[in-house]
Amino acid sequence: MVEDAPGRTGLARRAYAFLLRPEASVIVVSVALVVYFEIANQNFLTNANVRTVSQFVAAPVIIACGEIMLLICREIDLSVGQVFALAPFIMENVNDIDVPVPLAILAALAVSALIGLAIGLITIKLGIPSFITTLGMLFLITGLTLTISRGYPANAPGGPILTGFMGAWGYSEIVWALVIVALMHLVLRHTRWGLHTIAIGGNIVASAEAGIAINRIKIANFVLTSTLGGFTGLLEAFRVGSIDPLAGGSNIMFLGVASGVIGGTAIAGGAGTIVGGLVGGIMLGVMQDGFTLQGINAFTFDIIIGGAILIAMVANIHLARLRGAGPR
Amino acid sequence: MSEAPRGMVEAIRAENIVKSFGHVVALNGVSMQVARGETLGILGDNGAGKSTLIKILTGYHQPDAGQVYVDGKPVQLASVDDARALGIECVYQDLALVNGLSIYHNMFLKRELLWGGPLKLLDHRAMRRRAAAALEEIGVAIPSVDVEVGQLSGGQRQAIAVARAVFSNARILLLDEPLAAMGAREARLIIDLIDRLRARGDIAIVMIAHNYAQTLEICDRVILVQHGEVTFESHAATTSAEELLDIVRREYRAARSG
Repeated sequence: MVEDAPGRTGLARRAYAFLLRPEASVIVVSVALVVYFEIANQNFLTNANVRTVSQFVAAPVIIACGEIMLLICREIDLSVGQVFALAPFIMENVNDIDVPVPLAILAALAVSALIGLAIGLITIKLGIPSFITTLGMLFLITGLTLTISRGYPANAPGGPILTGFMGAWGYSEIVWALVIVALMHLVLRHTRWGLHTIAIGGNIVASAEAGIAINRIKIANFVLTSTLGGFTGLLEAFRVGSIDPLAGGSNIMFLGVASGVIGGTAIAGGAGTIVGGLVGGIMLGVMQDGFTLQGINAFTFDIIIGGAILIAMVANIHLARLRGAGPR
Repeated sequence: MSEAPRGMVEAIRAENIVKSFGHVVALNGVSMQVARGETLGILGDNGAGKSTLIKILTGYHQPDAGQVYVDGKPVQLASVDDARALGIECVYQDLALVNGLSIYHNMFLKRELLWGGPLKLLDHRAMRRRAAAALEEIGVAIPSVDVEVGQLSGGQRQAIAVARAVFSNARILLLDEPLAAMGAREARLIIDLIDRLRARGDIAIVMIAHNYAQTLEICDRVILVQHGEVTFESHAATTSAEELLDIVRREYRAARSG
């Protein structure tokens, strides 16, 4: 941070700078929410409920990891929630023709990746905004999933060990999420892929001048997001034990994008962190679970969540201005 | 045409460059040359052909006729990469840097240092150290190479952009309006930097500018481009801004009566 808060000691200034980071403010709000829910409802910090919160948190956080990469390079994927629903049916159908489940999982991930590749190629080669490409994909994939499933749910395949590993054990989904967060943090901060993603979003002309392969990086991020979407769908299918053609959808996509933006990813691109997506997802999960425990009416619940997301985003942009790094 | 000063080695030369876009003749037989350790100023109004000339020297446009020489050898600059491979680099004031990235990331953009073997992780520490050393070597003072470029002033950003070009082995530097929209203190930063680069003796600098007095102060030689032709060329020390203004005024009068 270059900007100094005048008249403070070094330690206080550092604390001030830390608090201006988007992740920090979200952590503070999350802790406050946990305290509030624990006081209001003695069951919040029990083992069973922490497990439930972790399950609320895991899926949006994994999806956020992809969307954050896309948002940073000024793209978005609206159809990731539909890939989430499609992937388990691909797995189930491939398994039905006597392919072992692990291979069927790989097949589902391959199809997810291909969808991301198609989105990327259409967006880049035909010059269509990804908002539009993925809006079209959203409907297309929904239809595909309903056709394949004939509109009926199915049972998730696989023996107990694989099923537990892939999501049925209470904490396996959040462990997967944390591993993916760690890997994607490494990618964003410590590889050329991540650095160039930030460069493209920050200044596409300068990136082209420097010789960065803009199209390849963007397409890679589309493939990544779709693959993570499909993977999250598989985890949820194994956790729940059944496959629902209407699972995921725009709801999970929105929670993923919101996690990222609440955690400080700039919608205008050029800035964002994976850790921010994790803390954003935790805040949303804590709210979702806490208000459910409070027994709030489902309609009121959406009003509260929507309002909270708006407030968090406004606070985020305002803090970015205070830091002198945001829109002026 | 005035020759490069005695004892200096010619870096780049353009001879009788012609370039048209449709019916518009942007350059009608322009010649110029600059030596290592020399700074050439290109003056002229908007639309006079300065930018077209620079874009031909950076390989962005190809001339219809004429020849470019680098180190005395004829070259074909078919692309920006061709020019870059010959050590020609153009620094644009606002297009060159990524605001959201640190100074050292910008200095190493697309030329990152890596470690970790097959993992190919970014070697932040080495990049930080080498960027700081490179900036210190050419006398660009900044608090820390960790600072985001977006937090710097216009003059500091321009200095970083120039430093990056030199750092990436550019030896023929083309500066497009390096002092535009800068206060006196900011401009001083860049003028001092240009002076230091000239003193090294291995870099040729060509700068496009609007401000006659400032350009005469910075450069060794100036040329004036008007409607696609070089109409005046002289050593800066023996030229006054009034002299240049007179030539431009005459053109305006001719345009009005014509």
